[in-house]
Amino acid sequence: MNPDIETVEAEQSPGVPPVLAVRDLRKRFAETTALDGVTFEVRPHEVVGLIGENGAGKSTLLKMLVGLARPDSGTIELRGRRVKMRGIAQAGAAGIGMVFQEQSLIPNLTVAENILLGAEGPAVVGGLYRWRELRRRAQVQLDKIGSEISVDALTESLSFADRQLVEVAKVLATEERTNAEPVVLLDEPTSVLDRDETEVLFAQIERLRTRASVVFVSHRLDEVLRVSDRVYVLRNGRTVAECVPGDVDEATLRKLMIGRDLAGSHYDEERQLPAREAVRLAVRGLTVKGVCDHIDLDLHEGEVVGIAGVQGSGREELCRSLFGALASRSESVTMHGRPLNARSPRAAIASDIGYVPAERRREGMVGSMSVAENITLPHISEVCAGPLLQRRKERALAEEWIERLRIRTPSASAQLGSLSGGNQQKAVLARWLVSDSLRLLILDHPTRGLDVGAKTEVYQLIRDLTADGVSVLLMADSLEELIAMSHRVLVMKDGRVAEIIDAPAGAKPAPLRVLEGMV
Amino acid sequence: MAPARLGLAPPETGRAPGSPRPSRRPDRATILADFGPLGALVLLCLLFGFLSPQFATWGNVRNVLDSASVLAVIAVGLTFVLLLGAIDLSIEGVMATAALSVALLVANSRNDLDFGFMGVLAAVAIGAGFGLASGLLSTGLKIPSFMTTLGMSAIGIGIATVLFGGVQPALRSPELAEWASGQWFGLTRLTYVAVAVVLIGILVQRYTRLGRYARAIGGAEELALLSGIPVRRYKTLAFTFAGATYGLAGVMVTTQLGSGIVQAGVGQNFAAITAAVVGGTLLSGGRGGVLHSIVGVLIVTVLVNGLVLIGVSPYVQGAVQGVIVVAAVVITAWPLRKRLRVVK
Amino acid sequence: MNSTAIRRRRGLAVATIGFAAIALVGCADSGAGGGGGDEAAAATCAPEDIQLIGQVRNETNPYEKSWLDGGDAFAESVGLTQTRLTYDGESPKQQEQLRQAISTGNPECMVLNVLPNGDSDTTPIVKEADAAGAYLVTQWNKPADLNPWDGYDTWISHITFDGVDSGRQIAEAMFEQMGGSGGIIALQGILDTAAAKDRFTGLQEALAENPDIELLDEQTADFDRTTGFEVTKTLITKHGDAIRGVWAANDDMALGALQALEAAGMSDVAVVGIDAVPEAVQAVADGTMTATVSVDGPWQGGVGLAMGYCALTGELDVAGLSNEQRAFFAEQTLINAENAEENLTPKADLEDFECGNLFDRVTGPVS
Repeated sequence: MNPDIETVEAEQSPGVPPVLAVRDLRKRFAETTALDGVTFEVRPHEVVGLIGENGAGKSTLLKMLVGLARPDSGTIELRGRRVKMRGIAQAGAAGIGMVFQEQSLIPNLTVAENILLGAEGPAVVGGLYRWRELRRRAQVQLDKIGSEISVDALTESLSFADRQLVEVAKVLATEERTNAEPVVLLDEPTSVLDRDETEVLFAQIERLRTRASVVFVSHRLDEVLRVSDRVYVLRNGRTVAECVPGDVDEATLRKLMIGRDLAGSHYDEERQLPAREAVRLAVRGLTVKGVCDHIDLDLHEGEVVGIAGVQGSGREELCRSLFGALASRSESVTMHGRPLNARSPRAAIASDIGYVPAERRREGMVGSMSVAENITLPHISEVCAGPLLQRRKERALAEEWIERLRIRTPSASAQLGSLSGGNQQKAVLARWLVSDSLRLLILDHPTRGLDVGAKTEVYQLIRDLTADGVSVLLMADSLEELIAMSHRVLVMKDGRVAEIIDAPAGAKPAPLRVLEGMV
Repeated sequence: MAPARLGLAPPETGRAPGSPRPSRRPDRATILADFGPLGALVLLCLLFGFLSPQFATWGNVRNVLDSASVLAVIAVGLTFVLLLGAIDLSIEGVMATAALSVALLVANSRNDLDFGFMGVLAAVAIGAGFGLASGLLSTGLKIPSFMTTLGMSAIGIGIATVLFGGVQPALRSPELAEWASGQWFGLTRLTYVAVAVVLIGILVQRYTRLGRYARAIGGAEELALLSGIPVRRYKTLAFTFAGATYGLAGVMVTTQLGSGIVQAGVGQNFAAITAAVVGGTLLSGGRGGVLHSIVGVLIVTVLVNGLVLIGVSPYVQGAVQGVIVVAAVVITAWPLRKRLRVVK
Repeated sequence: MNSTAIRRRRGLAVATIGFAAIALVGCADSGAGGGGGDEAAAATCAPEDIQLIGQVRNETNPYEKSWLDGGDAFAESVGLTQTRLTYDGESPKQQEQLRQAISTGNPECMVLNVLPNGDSDTTPIVKEADAAGAYLVTQWNKPADLNPWDGYDTWISHITFDGVDSGRQIAEAMFEQMGGSGGIIALQGILDTAAAKDRFTGLQEALAENPDIELLDEQTADFDRTTGFEVTKTLITKHGDAIRGVWAANDDMALGALQALEAAGMSDVAVVGIDAVPEAVQAVADGTMTATVSVDGPWQGGVGLAMGYCALTGELDVAGLSNEQRAFFAEQTLINAENAEENLTPKADLEDFECGNLFDRVTGPVS
């Protein structure tokens, strides 16, 4: 075992050889050290938690385990034999399967095709698909996780959460291909699942561990503590601790991840100021055909209204229609008492509304463009003189926001796609903050996929904005987060407003209270 | 701006002590994608310079730049369309109409018109009109640009055929003849035209919304819409700009050949797309740019020129060109292959 | 509504093909019986019912346009009109056009004067016309082993030109202009075409007889003007003033070369081409080009139709033609400074199209 590791009550189980042993993996990209000596092992029938901030090296590590990246040095041993992974197919054949954080399903194929993609086995004979066999085998995988998704459904027609379940089913299919017990890597599998789905997944992990070993990566420390037998903490590309859940709490883990204590709750609840009197946005009878039904909503200056609801409750559609990205009808929508014209995003932006979509990679940023170019995109006229862009001015503006939001980037001209998720999200937020006149910011899961530190920064940012009078419509990853950040919580169910719950600082409702209205 | 708004940003978060300073240097793959084609160009020049005594002469430099000028002008316009993630197959048709138009509008052997340089402007405007039509059809009716521009090409060739009417109009305009053979500072005048267009292209790409939005739309169209960019307007604008460059290219070919021919643009569509891709402007959109495409144009031109100069038999030149182009693309794309890019 | 009309018409076409087949059988029988061909053919069509069709690649090519114009001139002289077909150099389109023409018209009174896109396109065209009973004249391209006398009664003749001969004629004209010595460059056509090969062979033959002429370089410029311009520029860089002559396998490339020479300030280089396109003839007349060869497009366009017309009116006995008349090299004219003026506007000479003069330009059998 690596002597550098600060062992916090490490479980000693000599004699049981590990299924997977990773020793001193190192990897450098150009000037950045991604891994700086990662060592850990997974024993048979064990669920191992892996936590760390974004940029701590989790993604790189997982990629190496399935052959999507090669280590500069160090070894990976699978059942006592040293292996060099060359790709997902080879890793799968050797018995390592991965559920991707960025979903790896092909949208225009059916669920059955996706589950068995590349591993059709007897479902393909002589190069021809045998559809009945394919469906049967796919159904077996879906049954394992108790899902009722149709194997014939087109993947693109499924919700994000359903797709995640299909992804899990796809990995479970590996256990039938390898005679040995597989190692299943779950890369933040719960980040887009709702509560019930998460429970199904956890039950599945419990079932899975009787025949496999699991590596579970998540930002939700409570989940990691709940399902894992042991937890490894990564920091700056290094394994810094190995813990047993019974002996540590979330605060300890958080401290290990960041390397210092977080002062109080990271939601900074004491900074929640009361909303102002003036109504900024007043919505009456907003209807999106088939999804939202006569929604009424008042949003005050400096107020955060959280929208709670399960998948399909209409909350995304409500937000998108307010931004003009979705057609809707309404009796009236006014801003500062004047009718709001938001028939298109362009009109909404002109009315000082900003929108941060949940699917960052597809809708939130252009990875091939620079940080500066991404930041100035919607308000390019601010850095234009006549028809010409003033690149120096643009750069100065970008650098100002990089500094203010502490975006970790080599420079303002670095490609946004090359930054870590948290820093990408900060740049996406900066895009709207650039405008002085921003009045309403719609945030769709602004902390999705971010680590604890980055999340805290986003929360701080929301607090700062509201202190400045900006109104915020928020949808969040967890109820806890939603309640903590909001002044009021709008609970949606089946396209209608089920309830509006006050959530003032110091008197936050319990998550269960909100949940009651949702389901 | 309101600096006070975010005065309370959290200290130190996410910036772990002792972590390596983020470098200002882009990673290796990006460097190779950006500068690989330039390296290939330099390599080709060194190779031909070594194998042929005439290659590195001033006369040949002038010749190569003159030969590249038409393709360069086309590539500048095409680049904006490619950045959008669209494609333009109308080059041959637009050039044909522009070639015939300019030949009939300046002093010529067929009619008594003589509008001089207004005729040139008119031909460029006609090209822009074709681009505008392609753009409006693509964005308004949501027809893939592949189809609309192919149709536009056929229309262009059709119009040119009507204008041609059986007798090629030969230029009788001394001003234009001067542009065909005249030189300034040892380079042909058309070379300067191309350089000017390239500079305008760089300016448009770097300093105008058109350039910025073209990359944004090609990179993530959804985001462009959500950022309030009038996507349709800028797509149409990009096609229009491209059409104008094809029109100018048609004029240039007509000037060089001394008469307006329907075949003025034959083969240029394929050559221009090849040059753009070899230079690193991807067909998937969002990546590359004017300079990338120009490097591609020079690679293609130097290749044709060099193979003739070193005396490769005409019977195998085609194959040798193909091998070198493929090799250049492979070398450029080699470091990117690990990124699991989907290649279509 | 449209579809019924088409269906009805198609039914009609099937019926006419049926009649044509019967007529054909009768024809063949009487031919075999010996000497009675005239009456049998004469009986088929009234002159005013005859349909004349000329088909070339496209009208943007001056040569091919002049071919169709020649066809028009002939048609007018006999009080008919020619149907002008162009197929843009696309083989499937050519086949489709002919099939449609045959099925919508009356093939037994039809004359097709066709420029097949390539050698291999000729076979289906011949079979189609033969099956329908339409009279056919093909030009330029045919496979060597396919001949009109192999049982094709309505395929009157195949006319082509000796590329070796034209290649040599212009080479000799150029050498003479150069004073019998000096360096030349050659611009070849599309390398895998027979025309390019034959014409270049002619140049090589001429070179063998003129040892003082040096072939500095040979490149292909794809029969294309822009390419000819670019390639010549590069060759000028390479060989400079050593170039005293440019031999081009067609006029388009020669005109491109001319432009490149002009841009380089080289005005006393002898340039020759083939095809006699109007610009080239003008250049010869102006003295900037030395020579070109005319295959006489208007004559080609008219004579093919005339052959079919004469056969249909009974003035030409197809079965009685010799093999040399049914597949022949036609005369081609060298155009130089002396005769350029009179060739500036190529026009059909209607005398050539009289039934007795149709084979006056035969120079020899296609070997």
